[in-house]
Amino acid sequence: MERHCAICKGKGLCGLTRCPIKSRFSTLAQVRPSTEYMGCSPSVFIGSYGYPSVRGGPLLVNDSDLPTDWLAKGFLIEDIARIRAGTIRGMSVPDRFPGTLQEIALSSVPLDVEARFERPVAPDLMFDGTVAPVGLSGSMKAFSVIDNAKVALPVDRVTSDTDLGANEACDILSRSGIDVYQISRLLSAGLLGRKRKVVPTRWAITAVDDAVSSGIKQEISRYPALDEIRLFEGFLFGNRIVCILLPGDWKFEMVEIWDAKSLWAGDKDYLVRDDETLKKKGYSPISGAYYSARLGVAEYLKKTGRAARVIVVRHVTGDYWAPLGTWVVREATRKAMAGPYLRCPDLSAATAMASQKIGFSYWIKESRLLAEQKYQRTLQEFF
Amino acid sequence: MMLKATIDADILKESIDAISALVTECRLHTDETGISTRAVDTANVAMISFHLKKEAFESFSSTKSELGLDIAKIKNIFGMMGKENLLALELPDEGHKLKVSFEGYQYSITLLDPNTIRKDPNIPNINLPGKVVLSGSELNNAIKAAAVVSDKIALGIDPATQTFYMVAEGDTDHIRREFGKTEVNFINGAEARSLFSLDYLKDMGKVMSRAEEVELSLGIDHPANFSFYLAGGNGHVEYLLAPRIEAD
Repeated sequence: MERHCAICKGKGLCGLTRCPIKSRFSTLAQVRPSTEYMGCSPSVFIGSYGYPSVRGGPLLVNDSDLPTDWLAKGFLIEDIARIRAGTIRGMSVPDRFPGTLQEIALSSVPLDVEARFERPVAPDLMFDGTVAPVGLSGSMKAFSVIDNAKVALPVDRVTSDTDLGANEACDILSRSGIDVYQISRLLSAGLLGRKRKVVPTRWAITAVDDAVSSGIKQEISRYPALDEIRLFEGFLFGNRIVCILLPGDWKFEMVEIWDAKSLWAGDKDYLVRDDETLKKKGYSPISGAYYSARLGVAEYLKKTGRAARVIVVRHVTGDYWAPLGTWVVREATRKAMAGPYLRCPDLSAATAMASQKIGFSYWIKESRLLAEQKYQRTLQEFF
Repeated sequence: MMLKATIDADILKESIDAISALVTECRLHTDETGISTRAVDTANVAMISFHLKKEAFESFSSTKSELGLDIAKIKNIFGMMGKENLLALELPDEGHKLKVSFEGYQYSITLLDPNTIRKDPNIPNINLPGKVVLSGSELNNAIKAAAVVSDKIALGIDPATQTFYMVAEGDTDHIRREFGKTEVNFINGAEARSLFSLDYLKDMGKVMSRAEEVELSLGIDHPANFSFYLAGGNGHVEYLLAPRIEAD
């Protein structure tokens, strides 16, 4: 049977009771047979299982739950996996302890909390490729927030406005300088939009990436086109991102290649691609990573005030042994776009350079945008 | 008054559809003879030249002026209009809001500053020797059929057999449609063949399907020109589409 792991990412599409890939990491989680937790809660987690009757609660760990912090501290993939393996999902029905999740989500700093569990917390590794993994979970019988939330002004304003749609809210927050990590926390805790409800974390992450980058996309579509071909490169935890910007109107294509035997790939290399113009139809087969990469590039184009056609190639090697979440793609793309770029004289030089960085060139024939760029002529050529 | 007119809702809708197939905003020129626009899509691949004569309107008076239209927005607004209703347009001198009233609704639509919209493109001076006339709906059907198997289509004229043909090659499938003398009127059956992107043709085809006749001009690896009339002959559309190069 053909393996679909790169699409499924632990959702269980293969029908096995335990995902064989997920099982590889369960040994990392150290059991701490405690029925109590006193410490920080940096964020919230809402599961998607059984939607709409979901379960969720605070994330309990003495850490910021901010990927940007992890990177600033120079953490390795092992360090992050270890922190996450020791992170507890305090679980209950979301409105069991009213207001607490919202308070944690609103706060720009982690809050001190106290939790008591029905049974000692147990290893229960949760990851799906979108959300950063969490190693432990426990059903809470008591929970309280001891601290007072520190709320940024734009967050206070937007979450208080119940006539503001969720998409628009995401847009306003991101324009006010609130990063997507907090916006998705707010959306997940049910603090955005007109009809508010808690949103499973993995959906919220991608929804926010999509909403914020769609807003930026509309904006950059009005900018003048880039006047040269630029090539960017970033590398993070076995993920190589190569990004080619071409002069022209907004078009975006992503090609994702998982090496054979890497995390989600089977015995063969696995390649998946998707593209869009100003409108995007349906959910991307690349899933969350597509929207995270798009955000990274859109932020750059907005900053430079240029429109461009974008090809993002993500190559994942076996070094990426733990699925840390789509934030890896987001930060790898941001890192690539923040770095210096190569100016390429023409398209074939750009693709050759990209292939050299990735290590192979068979992705080129999969790219539809490259084909269009190469074969479609413009009216100017006939003036 | 810069512009004051009443028009059949269907005609206006048809005109908006013709423009929105290629662009999301445009500069609309008005003068005493009617309204017109010329725009290229953001990728510089396709161009529309559009003219609606004042005879297409029930009543029409206008001075020479230039309006910036957000076509995408207007298309959404007019999506709810019923057919065969009259619609009144009004734009005061120095006004930036177009007043539109129909079926008891009164819209005030904010116009774009024309200076923020790309300037009218020049018309390329190209010689397209092959000329045929065929039915718009036949043309659209062939485009739709081709889009099932491929993302590009070749249009050509074979002078030896006096046929106009459309060929689409997919990765695995192939489709060919030939039009003989009975279906196509050959104005000039010179040899022609060029390849085009179906992404563009699909949107243009929907508009052309409403035209009884489309005059198609072709060359060899040259743009294609589609010329047809709307609104009972009072509206004229020309689409110019740049070709693709045949893949090596």
